[in-house]
Amino acid sequence: MIKIKGLCKSYNSNEVLKEINMEFSRGKVSGIVGENGAGKTTLFKCVAGLESYTGEVFSDVQPLKNHLGLLLTDPFFFSKITGKEYIRLLCNARNKKNINIDQKNIFDLPLNQYASTYSTGMKKKLAITAILLQENEYFILDEPFNGVDIQSNIVLTEIILKLKELDKIIIVSSHIFSTLSDTCDEIHLLRKGEQIKSVQKEDFKTLEQEMKEITIGNRIEKLELK
Amino acid sequence: MKDYFNLQLVMTKRKVKEAGLNPLLSCLLGLILFVAFSEYIFHRTEFAKYLVILVCFSFQFKLSENRRTDFLLSIFGDKAKNKIRVLENLIICIPFVSILLFKNLFLEAVILFTCSITIALFSFRTSLNLTIPTPFSKNPFEFSTGFRKTFFIFPLAYALTTIAINVDNFNLGIFSMLLISLTTLSYYSKPEEEYYVWIYADTTKSFLKKKIINATKNYIMLTIPILIGLLIFYPIKFDLILLFLLFGILFLWTIVLAKYSAFPDEIHLSVGFIIAFILLFPPLILVVIPYFYTKSINKLKFIFNDKN
Repeated sequence: MIKIKGLCKSYNSNEVLKEINMEFSRGKVSGIVGENGAGKTTLFKCVAGLESYTGEVFSDVQPLKNHLGLLLTDPFFFSKITGKEYIRLLCNARNKKNINIDQKNIFDLPLNQYASTYSTGMKKKLAITAILLQENEYFILDEPFNGVDIQSNIVLTEIILKLKELDKIIIVSSHIFSTLSDTCDEIHLLRKGEQIKSVQKEDFKTLEQEMKEITIGNRIEKLELK
Repeated sequence: MKDYFNLQLVMTKRKVKEAGLNPLLSCLLGLILFVAFSEYIFHRTEFAKYLVILVCFSFQFKLSENRRTDFLLSIFGDKAKNKIRVLENLIICIPFVSILLFKNLFLEAVILFTCSITIALFSFRTSLNLTIPTPFSKNPFEFSTGFRKTFFIFPLAYALTTIAINVDNFNLGIFSMLLISLTTLSYYSKPEEEYYVWIYADTTKSFLKKKIINATKNYIMLTIPILIGLLIFYPIKFDLILLFLLFGILFLWTIVLAKYSAFPDEIHLSVGFIIAFILLFPPLILVVIPYFYTKSINKLKFIFNDKN
């Protein structure tokens, strides 16, 4: 279990997260949606302990950070590190040694090449592979489907469902609603740092419709397309 | 084009300020250091003129990097791009050409000036995508990535040791050891992204211990060929050889800890002064290491969620 209680985050006077209260249970996939700047990434960083905050974050396995696989939206890679070394670095950091990396290269990545030469999608697949091989209890996946090809997105969806089956906690953010409705059990909607609502699977369709109406509004008419 | 150079000036000033320096003062300091260092190398070696030309070219080659020139081309077009590149190279070559002229090396100055303009009209790929094998692959990242960036230093250092033994110049042998030491120190000069510290399932203390042990092990591995050579041919000076090895290790610890004492920011200039001061008074290292260690513990506490 991961429980967030009254989490607030400010940068000077700018409050970017306001009183967030969420609970994530084992064997469930939770989605976080919101526009750019809604506070999703900041929330993830706070839960991971990469950002300071007020409020509380509890977890059933302590310390949370040592059991968390964190996929950042835009993973950073050192200029002369190969794919295999990147995976090894992340596994070594969690004291996971002697892993057969080649056998577990499910996305068929060129692991002996420098990661910096990879395409955006390949970089994301490499980062996902690494956090999977760390054998974490919790996963925070910030935009895992972004820039990844359709085939790999199918594999990624199956991986998330497998992690769910293994009783892990998975928190995902995505701008592609269908990827969330395929995998999530609940979705939390954030807007300008506020937790607007939490929706269960049966109400995803309504949420999607609501989001569409709010997001589109009369913007298309304003364009006066001819 | 004027806007481009204004922007470059603003960016440079910003970088200098971020390093905790006054732009005007650092410009003056840089000039003094440049003149002093040039005088020093002209005084020390007859190859100084080549070194001046080489250093100037190395800066200019960096500016001629493929992606950079492609970017300039896409923004300014062919003609303006060439003008910008020629101007950039001329700005860079001014101090170097001045030094050569000051030393009455007119031919070399003309060659450097002409080449600077010519180089500006070409672009180069400055980085190889070829994966260079490294002995540090099992335990990335500082030494594995650093080794690849500086791989040419090692055959050079080992060759210097061989020459030192052949011409019976012990000091040159020690210099080759210092060369390895300086190279490995550079691997720890910049802080990594916070994520790469956060990933460790460690306490602050065990993290620092791991980093220090790894650095020491890898440094010794790279120094061993020189060490063995010198110990075999200069057994009588074994105490001096081991003293330099020990100092190299302690200096490496200092840099590792200095990096994390400022984390996630870059090593501040004041820390740079402390490190430079150690070179003048080496015993100081025994005070500086615990100081940086305590500072590192405090800096990393948050990221490791350490309560004590």
